[in-house]
Amino acid sequence: MKLALVGVGSAGARIVDRILELEVESGRNISNGNALVFDTAQAAFADLEYVPEENRAVFGDIYPRVEANGEDGTDGDPDLGVEVAREDIHELRRAFDVLEFTDVDATLLVAGLGGGTGGGAGAVLLEELQSVDEKPVYALGVLPTDAESDQAALNAARSLQSFVTIADNTICFDNEAWRPSIRASESSTESPGSTDATRTDTTEADGSDGDADDGDATETNEDAAAAEEFEYDEDGPTAAAVERERVAAERYDELNRVAARRVLSLLGAGELESMTIAENRADASDIVRTLDTGGVSTIGQATLGLDRDTGGSWLPSWLPDRILEWFGGGDTEPEPTDAAKVKDLVRRAVDSRLTLPCGISSADRTLIVLSGPPSAVSRKGFESARHWLELEADTVEVLAGDEPRPNASQLTATVVLSNVTSVDRIDELQKRAVDAIEDLESTHEETKAAAEDEFIW
Amino acid sequence: MKLATIGVGNAGSKIIDRMLEFEQQTGRNLCRHVMVINSARTDLAKPDYVPEERRILIGDTHQKAKGHGVGGDVEVGAEVAKHDIDEIRRAFDDVEIHEVDAILVAAGLGGGTGSGAGPVVIDELQKMYDEPVYGLGILPGEYEGGRPALNAARSLQSFVMKVDNFMAFDNDAWRSRGQTIEEGYEQMNRELAIRIVTLLAAGEIDETDVAENAMDSSDIMRTLDTDGVSSIGYASTPIKNGGDGLLDKFRDAEGPVDEATDAAKIKGLVRRAVNSRLTLPCEVSSADRALIVFSGPSELISRKGIESARQWLEDEADTVDILAGDDPRPNADELAAVVLLSNVTETPRIKEIQSQAVDAQDKIEELDAVREEEINDLITDDDDKLDPVV
Repeated sequence: MKLALVGVGSAGARIVDRILELEVESGRNISNGNALVFDTAQAAFADLEYVPEENRAVFGDIYPRVEANGEDGTDGDPDLGVEVAREDIHELRRAFDVLEFTDVDATLLVAGLGGGTGGGAGAVLLEELQSVDEKPVYALGVLPTDAESDQAALNAARSLQSFVTIADNTICFDNEAWRPSIRASESSTESPGSTDATRTDTTEADGSDGDADDGDATETNEDAAAAEEFEYDEDGPTAAAVERERVAAERYDELNRVAARRVLSLLGAGELESMTIAENRADASDIVRTLDTGGVSTIGQATLGLDRDTGGSWLPSWLPDRILEWFGGGDTEPEPTDAAKVKDLVRRAVDSRLTLPCGISSADRTLIVLSGPPSAVSRKGFESARHWLELEADTVEVLAGDEPRPNASQLTATVVLSNVTSVDRIDELQKRAVDAIEDLESTHEETKAAAEDEFIW
Repeated sequence: MKLATIGVGNAGSKIIDRMLEFEQQTGRNLCRHVMVINSARTDLAKPDYVPEERRILIGDTHQKAKGHGVGGDVEVGAEVAKHDIDEIRRAFDDVEIHEVDAILVAAGLGGGTGSGAGPVVIDELQKMYDEPVYGLGILPGEYEGGRPALNAARSLQSFVMKVDNFMAFDNDAWRSRGQTIEEGYEQMNRELAIRIVTLLAAGEIDETDVAENAMDSSDIMRTLDTDGVSSIGYASTPIKNGGDGLLDKFRDAEGPVDEATDAAKIKGLVRRAVNSRLTLPCEVSSADRALIVFSGPSELISRKGIESARQWLEDEADTVDILAGDDPRPNADELAAVVLLSNVTETPRIKEIQSQAVDAQDKIEELDAVREEEINDLITDDDDKLDPVV
């Protein structure tokens, strides 16, 4: 499907930048250059490489309370984000002029929900985008880690409500669930984009809901020391905190890549430049129908190396060494079209780490996209995979399509679970947010009136 | 018979394409007029034998389709066809209807376009023409899931009510292990094309080489004139000099062949056609009418053989309304028997689809009913202390 990409806040802008990068890398063209990023501080755009200058819009920066925050823009205050976005609404609308809405099937707004600009102004922008035309407006919302401040959790819990209410569907990416993988990839290799493939390949298929959740919780504990580095300084925007945030943002780049890759695999299904005709293409209408439920969605993915009997040289050279070893050394079963393998691949995609871990059976609609050489995919396997997902997700709305890449050396299954409603991670965020409010109420009882005007956290 | 053929949706279009392929390979000329209708631009690019100008994109201006298909939604499929009905009607304008005996509409019933737009197209055809309109419908397999089953169960009702006969093909009966998604349904589509073309092309060359038992178009139309669901059986045997074919010795024999053996073999072929995989597995005895067409060199099809085959089927199908005849193909390299069982009423697969559909419909309603509430539960905290940002 063709998409207009709108990134809001520093996380949103970076992920859009990563999507544009991946478009070039993967030969998938979803945006046709229809990309626009917003922030309240010019500094947020410093690291962008693929979003052209004229597609970057700063707003609200002359608003006194934003100006006072300097490079921090709204400084994690979503109410300020909302306020300045409303104030500068005409400017925001004018910025939309660089987007060709008539050329796209939908708009995707990308934002970090823990931030003031992403979570606050993002919601206002969603409203604006919804008024442009009848086409769907989706959101990709990034949830903060446990190591981030209570305020980030409160922001996320609040802005998620607005995002889900306004957007046609909100695909969530949970940084907490993915955080351990950044460390893993940093300690071994610098190769960009390796995280996704490595993770999905090594995750064990254990077959029950919420296991990914449990597994991550354990890793999180081991990770406690490193988590300190992620923490925001809650006393205010000191220079050290700003510097720390910058370091954290660099680490988040790895997560952003994973999020970008998943979203591109799903929404960009069927948009490969060198496409041969699919037997049963995953059309834009299939994606729209699947996401038509509203609510919160999550994406799973898994990859299977195909044995082409040509030694090990068949793997694309851009793959990091670890992946090359993984495939070259291990996976040499002679029957790539085996039905059981295709089914197992789809199963792994769902049981592996989802962008947002959830109870699979709470999904409302689902879509499977199988990307790879069509001659290597058993139709029976594809059908039984779909049947398996129908039982697992407890829904009859299971669409499936393929994306032929005749020369690909691997087979990738991407699964979206649309409108999942059993999500422990969101419950946790809400609990933390409520605690944060209660803390605030008890400590600042007397200044509550003032707090409505200005955040003193 | 001479046909105007229309494929609706991806599966329907591919069937028509395979029919054209088969008639070209075997020198038949059944499809005098061809058209494919689809809501997905990419799928319209697939046919190899349908001329570009005979491919019609519908729903390209519809908000939910826009040339990208209808997302498996039968309601949207019907909606886009109704919306673009003028365009479809215009495309029929150049059909020289007096040149054809009937119209055949092929569609897959599990998806959204064939199942939804198919009945709309048929309605229009029935309004415009007096010629019979037949349906050729593909039923989804169990593993294609609950949504396709629901689409099919609903669409089947519309198809059967609107067409003069509905010939069904059951994907489940024809599924086999080795197929990849690249081949997809190609092999099954070919098998179906062979059956449908062999059956309906009988009598198209009325004027040449008229055999004494020749089947003609009116026989086929009479058998199809039951308004119900039909199933087709098929068997063939190669004719090769010096080969292993069943009928080799007929060719080699110098004197008149043993009539009793000949009859037995013809009957055997028909028995094989009925007992092998039918396009829709069914209780043969539930058939209302039946028709047998023998396709091949007429010297190989004896009157006695035809008669004994007819007699056998009469007992099997428990009906006296059985026509049998041949479709002379002097240069054919095989002898084929195709059996049409018209208006079969005991078909386990349709029952299964209906029960799967009922379950699916319940599930969909269940999910629809709680959707808003569950989303709200998810995004708000238990005590409703958190406010949205906007």
